[in-house]
Amino acid sequence: MPLIKREYNGKSPEDFRLVLDFEGMENPQGIDAYKSKKGYEALTAVLKEKRKPDDLIQLVKDSGLRGRGGAGFPTGLKWGFVPKDAPEKYLLCNFDEGEPGTYKDRYITEISPHMLVEGMVISAYAFGAAKSYVYLRGEFYDEIGWTEKAIREAYDAGFLGENILGSGFTHHMDVYTGSGAYICGEETAMISSLEGKKGQPKLKPPFPAVAGYLGKPTVVNNVETLAVVPWIVRNGAEAYRAFGTEKSPGTKLFNLSGPVKNPGCFEVPLGYPLKRFIEEEGGGLLDGKKLKAVIPGGASAPVLTAEEVENITLDYECLQAAGSMLGSGAVIVIPEDVSMVDVLDNLMHFFKSESCGQCTPCREGTGWLGSMAHSLAAGHGQASDVERVAAIASQMAGKTICAFSDAAAGPAMSIVQKFPHEFQSRFG
Amino acid sequence: MSQEQSVQLTVDGREVSVPAGSTIMEAVRKLGEIEVPHFCWHPGLSVAGVCRFCMVKIEGVPKLQIACNTEVREGMAVDTIAADVKEAHKWALEFHLINHPLDCPICDQAGECELQNYYMKVGKYTSQMDEDKVLKPKALDVGDTLVLDTERCILCSRCVRFEDEITKTSTLGIFNRGDRAVIGTFPDRRIQHNYSYNLADICPVGAFTAKDFRFQCRVWFLKESESICPGCSTGCNVKVFQNGNSREYFRLKPLENPEVNGHWMCDYGRTQFEHLNVKDRLVSPLGADNSALSWSDAAARFGELVKSQAGADNGKVALVLTPQHTNEEFSAIFSHLKSQLGREPEVFVWREATEERDSFDGILFRGDRNPNTRGLEDTLKELGVSAKECSGLKDVGLSQAQLAVVLGPEVERAYPSLETDLAVLREMPAVVYFGNHRSQAAAGLSLRVPTLVFTEKEGTYVNHAGLKQTLKANARVMPSLKSLTEFLGGA
Ligand SMILES: Cc1cc2nc3c(=O)[nH]c(=O)nc-3n(C[C@H](O)[C@H](O)[C@H](O)COP(=O)(O)O)c2cc1C
Ligand code: SF4
Ligand code: SF4
Ligand code: SF4
Ligand code: FES
Repeated sequence: MPLIKREYNGKSPEDFRLVLDFEGMENPQGIDAYKSKKGYEALTAVLKEKRKPDDLIQLVKDSGLRGRGGAGFPTGLKWGFVPKDAPEKYLLCNFDEGEPGTYKDRYITEISPHMLVEGMVISAYAFGAAKSYVYLRGEFYDEIGWTEKAIREAYDAGFLGENILGSGFTHHMDVYTGSGAYICGEETAMISSLEGKKGQPKLKPPFPAVAGYLGKPTVVNNVETLAVVPWIVRNGAEAYRAFGTEKSPGTKLFNLSGPVKNPGCFEVPLGYPLKRFIEEEGGGLLDGKKLKAVIPGGASAPVLTAEEVENITLDYECLQAAGSMLGSGAVIVIPEDVSMVDVLDNLMHFFKSESCGQCTPCREGTGWLGSMAHSLAAGHGQASDVERVAAIASQMAGKTICAFSDAAAGPAMSIVQKFPHEFQSRFG
Repeated sequence: MSQEQSVQLTVDGREVSVPAGSTIMEAVRKLGEIEVPHFCWHPGLSVAGVCRFCMVKIEGVPKLQIACNTEVREGMAVDTIAADVKEAHKWALEFHLINHPLDCPICDQAGECELQNYYMKVGKYTSQMDEDKVLKPKALDVGDTLVLDTERCILCSRCVRFEDEITKTSTLGIFNRGDRAVIGTFPDRRIQHNYSYNLADICPVGAFTAKDFRFQCRVWFLKESESICPGCSTGCNVKVFQNGNSREYFRLKPLENPEVNGHWMCDYGRTQFEHLNVKDRLVSPLGADNSALSWSDAAARFGELVKSQAGADNGKVALVLTPQHTNEEFSAIFSHLKSQLGREPEVFVWREATEERDSFDGILFRGDRNPNTRGLEDTLKELGVSAKECSGLKDVGLSQAQLAVVLGPEVERAYPSLETDLAVLREMPAVVYFGNHRSQAAAGLSLRVPTLVFTEKEGTYVNHAGLKQTLKANARVMPSLKSLTEFLGGA
């Protein structure tokens, strides 16, 4: 069962189950199973005790919860940006889960979709949204069913709809399915898509908290971010801060993939050593292979060499200092027998396919890098090509409407800079 | 603008003050001396922020920012020439060009193409592109007036925004994504409205080209001058393009005037160069038998016809005016007749019988297809004349006149019932017809005298809103042509 293997920071492995509390339970998905372990108690308390919305925002601020969709933006702060007096506001749950290597959000809804629903209703109450949408990746057929079923059950049990639990608070929730474009995971592209437009990011400012879905104040949060809110409401900010680091409180779901013995989804306290994660939770590499590199946070995160991995801890600040990012928490292990030239080709093919194409540096840069990586992998490259990859990537970064261009540039730059020798042996 | 609503900033050390809420791009434009390179921004459209060309550096801000969507702040120090800004401009241009087909030798935009212009201003690099270019559909027939080359398109989205925001026809979209993104019309849609040529204007490259200009003339042979469109009572300000050597006119484009037409003009207005060229012009006076007369003979004949009606006890003389000439011309012909006759002629204002004078399309185009309805009214009032306004010339009392002096329409298209009205004139004992068309419509009248067209004369038009606008004179297509006052001076 994906759980950390042994005591960490004086806590036993079982203590680290905030989000995956229901893992291992027989039929955990239904509302009764959820209620058997404190499910909907947080929402009930909030509404019965008529907790002040601002107090909830403050609570989430105090907990230090940071967005789990990739950017790590402080959640309470985001809610605080929403104008108080706006008559119409929206909450959007980002369940696009497009980052290659990531499968944590689907795991949450596989085990406890009600945790997401409860978290969404509380969050909506905190900043005053009467309507929310779960924007769900179109190919996630099972997850669409699970989420819709949970929403229906919540309506039937009176946790959704008009005048919830007699509190005067009304909230409606719907699922909206996308069509599998990676870019629709970017929050403003998601809003465009939800509005029925071409799924491409919007120019900021204005930011969604001020003018989002249909031009109304909108909060976009990731599934995991919203799912942990009930726990924080039940246990308090201090209890949450007991996990993780000063700047990265709490636990986070990590998805381990690549040739390791135990790939899977693990709930791990932030600040946890990456090396220990791969060796103990992952059981090390298959067939005694040596580690070459790790992509620590999904395809958008610059790669780390095996030496760098030695001292990395899984939190926002350490990975940022190392020139990479925690991202979505998808840890992709690359063994010694995989060529970084092929890794570059694979990644650049992805970004070339998925750029929405509106910003020139991203549209042209991803296409260019895709072609170059392909010709390098096919053995047609030369030394100047490697320099060109770095030059192109450096001009794509920080110059576009959304972070996609940076997400493509970072990995390209890190691969050519950290593994130049691997390219030399493939020159034509 | 009150003091507290304006913001003071510097751009490359130069101070400028703009209304709060303006963008850096607007501040730079106001300053005038500096240009931040841009493709997608257009002053008449919403901000898209997609080309990422307009990068500037702002003191205290770590990353470069786009000028078109960054609001000014008090005391902001903007730098458009720092080394990293220049590098960013160069790269942005290179990104735009890597998949560009470089059709310049066969592209009508060459010479006025923003890719070419910016390459000279901020580019001048050696291309680093070795890979194959992305190929896209070319020479698409997307409307009656336009051809679209999607490969030349730099995806600035100006045309899409024009269709969405100005004409609200939403014919265009950008389809697919990444470097396969391509401009195009929605299925089964064509660009069919009265503002289509504006798309060719705002397209910074040669993706949209105008059918009536394709392969006609290299733009560097064209001389540009300013004028007023004679197509309707809006009076759009225009740029007129004429071959510097042959004097042939090739096209009209809008000239920005926020008070009148903003950045646009209509397609009907665009055609107002067709009647200017020699092949369609009446170039010498003609007699009743359609034989050419010298200017001096024509002046003498006109003088005799008028003199024969002089004196109080003589028959009626009609002066028939169309609202297509300048205030000065109206006044000159009236005063000439008055002094020669020793009394006032009876004045008729000749309007097209079928016109829907008050119609308006909500953008620019008006049902009053005359550039100077207001000017004619004002001039007559100043002269103290009460004229008879006629909807067509039938049964308006012209038959009682012995002589009619007519300033016919410069734009005959605005008078679809011209033949019927000329038939009325043909019944009269004597008609002197001033016109600029070679067409046979006015054949058989006693005397036909050529006039100058709007691009060849100085004078005043007053538009529908009462705004006085001044025409400037270009060289005449034939040096022998005479203006109305020159002609009257000889008569
Ligand atoms: C290209 C791109 C793809 C993204 N994909 C996702 C995604 O699949 N799921 C997600 O939650 N956030 C994704 N994000 C991040 C969202 O834009 C946004 O920051 C996030 O949903 C906010 O929620 P959070 O604050 O709870 O993390 C993506 C961002 C970018 C730039
Ligand atoms: S950076 Fe790329 S993906 Fe993001 S908006 Fe621009 S073109 Fe689209
Ligand atoms: S066709 Fe022209 S105006 Fe339209 S997006 Fe392309 S370059 Fe821009
Ligand atoms: S709107 Fe009227 S004045 Fe303007 S271009 Fe058209 S015809 Fe000419
Ligand atoms: S002009 Fe500013 S991004 Fe295009």
